[in-house]
Amino acid sequence: MNQLKPPENGYESRTRANVIRLFRWSGAWGGTCALLAFGPKFLWNRALVFTLLAVGLNVYVGIRAIVANKKYFEELDDLQRKVHLNSLAITVGVAMIAGVPYSLMDSYHVIPFHADISHLVVLMGLTYAASNLYGTRRYR
Amino acid sequence: MKNRLKVLRAERDWTQAQLADALDVSRQTINAIETGKFDPSLPLAFRVARLYGLRIEEIFHDPTLDKDGNGLATEIRRNTSV
Repeated sequence: MNQLKPPENGYESRTRANVIRLFRWSGAWGGTCALLAFGPKFLWNRALVFTLLAVGLNVYVGIRAIVANKKYFEELDDLQRKVHLNSLAITVGVAMIAGVPYSLMDSYHVIPFHADISHLVVLMGLTYAASNLYGTRRYR
Repeated sequence: MKNRLKVLRAERDWTQAQLADALDVSRQTINAIETGKFDPSLPLAFRVARLYGLRIEEIFHDPTLDKDGNGLATEIRRNTSV
């Protein structure tokens, strides 16, 4: 039997480390969003300095999350990158196709509630997760 | 694109996971290539060829080519020449 020597820092372990890094920075970004949303009212009584600090922290952590996401993508293999690219294409399409009429329905009072940006973010997240799951199962 | 990846791997008694480690890709990618669901990029095809000590065309085969390796362009030229 012709044995292969396993690499010390293989694809699986590198991807796992990148996913953990991405998860941590994304989670931290979610935390700073919550701080920015509730902090001014409940923590520092709308003091401008603290609000600006929270904005700065939110932007900094957001940039780190983007960098972590970029690194994660760069180190994916051909197939995984293709699966994610397909998911991104579907997600951007759904966001455009659903977002514009949703906003217009709010403008013309067709829907009884305000078309909040968070609804679109949730829709994009669910679309990305579903299309990624589909892509992963397709090439299994 | 057809390929002999599964045969070559079986000849050496390697698992998909071992081959994936050696090529620095996921096991899912090896499986998708072997089953013909996914065609590898040129750099990955070169890595496969280097690993087995073969030429790319000895592993990957374009089914649209005839046995002499001529493609659609040759066939069109042949049919249109008077």
